Amino acid sequence: MSEQQTAAEVAEPQEPIVIQQLKEKFTDHILTFIDQRSELSVIVSKDASFEILEFLKAGSNPSYDFLVDVTAIDYSQMEDVLVEYDYARFMVIYHLNSFMTNERLRVKVPVNEKELTIKSTVALWKSADWLEREVYDMFGINFDGHPNLRRILMPDDFEGFPLRKDYPLRGRGEREKFNFGRENV
Amino acid sequence: MGLESKLGDSFITTTIDKVVNWGRKNSLWPMPFGTACCAIEMMATLATKFDLSRFGAEAIRFSPRQSDLMIVSGRISIKMMPVLRKIYDQMPEPKWVISMGACASCGGVFDTYTLVQGVDQFIPVDIYVPGCPPRPEDLIDAVMQIQKLIGDETVSVARMTKREEISQGTLG
Repeated sequence: MSEQQTAAEVAEPQEPIVIQQLKEKFTDHILTFIDQRSELSVIVSKDASFEILEFLKAGSNPSYDFLVDVTAIDYSQMEDVLVEYDYARFMVIYHLNSFMTNERLRVKVPVNEKELTIKSTVALWKSADWLEREVYDMFGINFDGHPNLRRILMPDDFEGFPLRKDYPLRGRGEREKFNFGRENV
Repeated sequence: MGLESKLGDSFITTTIDKVVNWGRKNSLWPMPFGTACCAIEMMATLATKFDLSRFGAEAIRFSPRQSDLMIVSGRISIKMMPVLRKIYDQMPEPKWVISMGACASCGGVFDTYTLVQGVDQFIPVDIYVPGCPPRPEDLIDAVMQIQKLIGDETVSVARMTKREEISQGTLG
């Protein structure tokens, strides 16, 4: 590596290879990518989220074969983010890791409240089963194609989605009115 | 224990009281219902340094049918409460309950939509131990207080009747 080459590389930071590959393959669906404090995130649109994750699992360089976490976030109180992503209230977040190169990637998918459903990734990673059940339980986001979508942390007859921003900390009276599920006891 | 209730308070019943209570208080077998961090302190109390078996708690059975002291240590969520109630109901009389730590006593720092704010809303508690978590010495003190409570009991009044009367406020 000659000195001029390294100087050129330093002067113009290049996009990571995986982002270039994604942009080649799915041009319309990659909304933005953020490389902030050495954490790489890419925000993709919902229609192609399953295909993009499938590509990231096996086809990209490096291939992110480990699903670390599925979670979601409610942006209803952050105006600037809402405006940027077409007033999509929720974002479903997939954290991926690559075993070969130990690199991480975050994939964020905006989900609109009017169409609160996203394609499930259980077909790609079996661990997404319980992770997506937790997102359903806490936010109410439905996962299309999930084999067993029901509550996992809260009791089965609980009403309400606790981690939404409009859900109060002390609940809406569920703990006072809890009736032990009398039909079972 | 039917004959003693007819005898009332006499020297026979008081001697029987002393013997029975001595037996019960020095062989309290705990049923540890540990759910969270207090369970770690309870494990420390049951281990060698702060040995609880010095006080008779030799057999730590996770079977409610063979225990007489339930130690509720940790947060109890509303989903867990029916389970706790079922385990409590499966314990044979006489039974006592220690509510260990802040979360079991009153919900602790977690005033949220999932946690029962104190297990005494659903099961009768004899001794509350404050702390987050309480030190092993605190738990040992609680067991000693239960022993003191047992020493004051009498066999001529049935325990279930006494509990009902306490809960209804009609104990004379």
